[in-house]
Amino acid sequence: MALRLATRRLAPLTLRRGMATTIESGKDSIPAASPITTPNRSPVSESKTSTIEDPQAGTDAKIKKFQVYRWNPDEPTSKPKMQTYTLDLNKTGPMMLDALIRIKNEVDPTLTFRRSCREGICGSCAMNIDGINTLACLCRIPTDTSKESRIYPLPHTYVVKDLVPDLTHFYKQYKSIKPYLQRDTPPPDGRENRQSKADRAKLDGLYECILCACCSTSCPSYWWNSEEYLGPAVLLQSYRWIADSRDEKTEQRKDALNNSMALYRCHTILNCSRTCPKGLNPALAIAEIKKSMAFT
Amino acid sequence: MRPTLLRQALAAPSRRTFTSATSTLPAFRSQLQRHSVQRLQRAAFQTTAQRAILPPLPQRIEGSVNDPVKVHEPEPAHGSYHWSAERALSAALIPLTIAPFAAGSLNPLMDGLLIGAILIHSHMGFQSVIVDYLPKQRVTKTRKLFDYGSVLAIFVVGWGWYEFETNDVGLTEGIKRIWTAKPKSLV
Repeated sequence: MALRLATRRLAPLTLRRGMATTIESGKDSIPAASPITTPNRSPVSESKTSTIEDPQAGTDAKIKKFQVYRWNPDEPTSKPKMQTYTLDLNKTGPMMLDALIRIKNEVDPTLTFRRSCREGICGSCAMNIDGINTLACLCRIPTDTSKESRIYPLPHTYVVKDLVPDLTHFYKQYKSIKPYLQRDTPPPDGRENRQSKADRAKLDGLYECILCACCSTSCPSYWWNSEEYLGPAVLLQSYRWIADSRDEKTEQRKDALNNSMALYRCHTILNCSRTCPKGLNPALAIAEIKKSMAFT
Repeated sequence: MRPTLLRQALAAPSRRTFTSATSTLPAFRSQLQRHSVQRLQRAAFQTTAQRAILPPLPQRIEGSVNDPVKVHEPEPAHGSYHWSAERALSAALIPLTIAPFAAGSLNPLMDGLLIGAILIHSHMGFQSVIVDYLPKQRVTKTRKLFDYGSVLAIFVVGWGWYEFETNDVGLTEGIKRIWTAKPKSLV
């Protein structure tokens, strides 16, 4: 409490809140935008906002409430709010993404979210639905109409608009692990880098990761230390290259993780494995990295 | 103060009057006062306080969006060696805890070994908490204070154990005395 008050009073105005700033190395750093509002605003609850009804509800309608997090960057001073929409489930597809698309098409075109493949391959529609990070396209709408569904952007992310989180830092971390095959020697037959079936099997459960960031944003350790801790998704990807028999920079890859922050902030909380919408096990991959680096 | 009391106190009219013909200052002052009263009333009305210890800072992106984040130099002493030592120590604590009771012997050397292991084990645990919750870039001085504090705690607690071992009964005997189940007399 005292610490919070201290940071609030003592922090210079520019540090308190602003839009994203990019610090270009070499060039003059761009000063932070003028402070707009206080940080850490909880959204206006749905009881204080209006409800937008389904315009085409049928006679035997199955009306379900959806409470969606809304924040518009064009009005940066206004607080985020929870907007309630009602939809007739008889006229809506089975998945959460269908509901969102129907809201956008028929009810409120200003609702913003990312989506692309609608079948769990692209990882665009990652969001927090009813308290669980998942892909909206893989999440069924609970048919219990007495309970409302609450949809938020991924937790502990900077929100660009409504349900769109800013994943810049996540992608920068992904780039830092060099997610590509690194070899110094040409392949023995001069054509392909071959791999035995057993070696290929080691990559199962790793290559399927689509980098939707559901696991990383569900990890408390990543919430507190996202600047330096890489997070489960990026560590799983790192292990995908460490485990690859064709890669020749395994030791360098491990060295890059060998400090107190990048890897060892994982405390096996296992939220990552619990939430992964693709059913992968990032915690196991992290444990495998730790095991391969232990007692060496 | 209870919110209702605060609200009543604020609703009561002020005795001081700010009417003056010569200066505009009182007008500003009264406005300021009214403003602060409103804010206090609102604060008193709110039932849940925001308790973010480290509120999120504005987003800063180091380098361009296409640059990777900085990769640390390898530091095995804080990385893999530290992790291995942590696990080895935790594993070693199990036999150390059981041995004195299983063997039934009260060896001061074993006692000292157990205490030393517990000390380092708990120090590592607290250090982990400090690293997790006090980011270096964010709260540099607090972090330093806690880092030194945790080292100081080793010596203070170690000294306490030393006194307990030399002037009192010692750890295992102490636990034995506390942890006794008096057999119920069968009726």
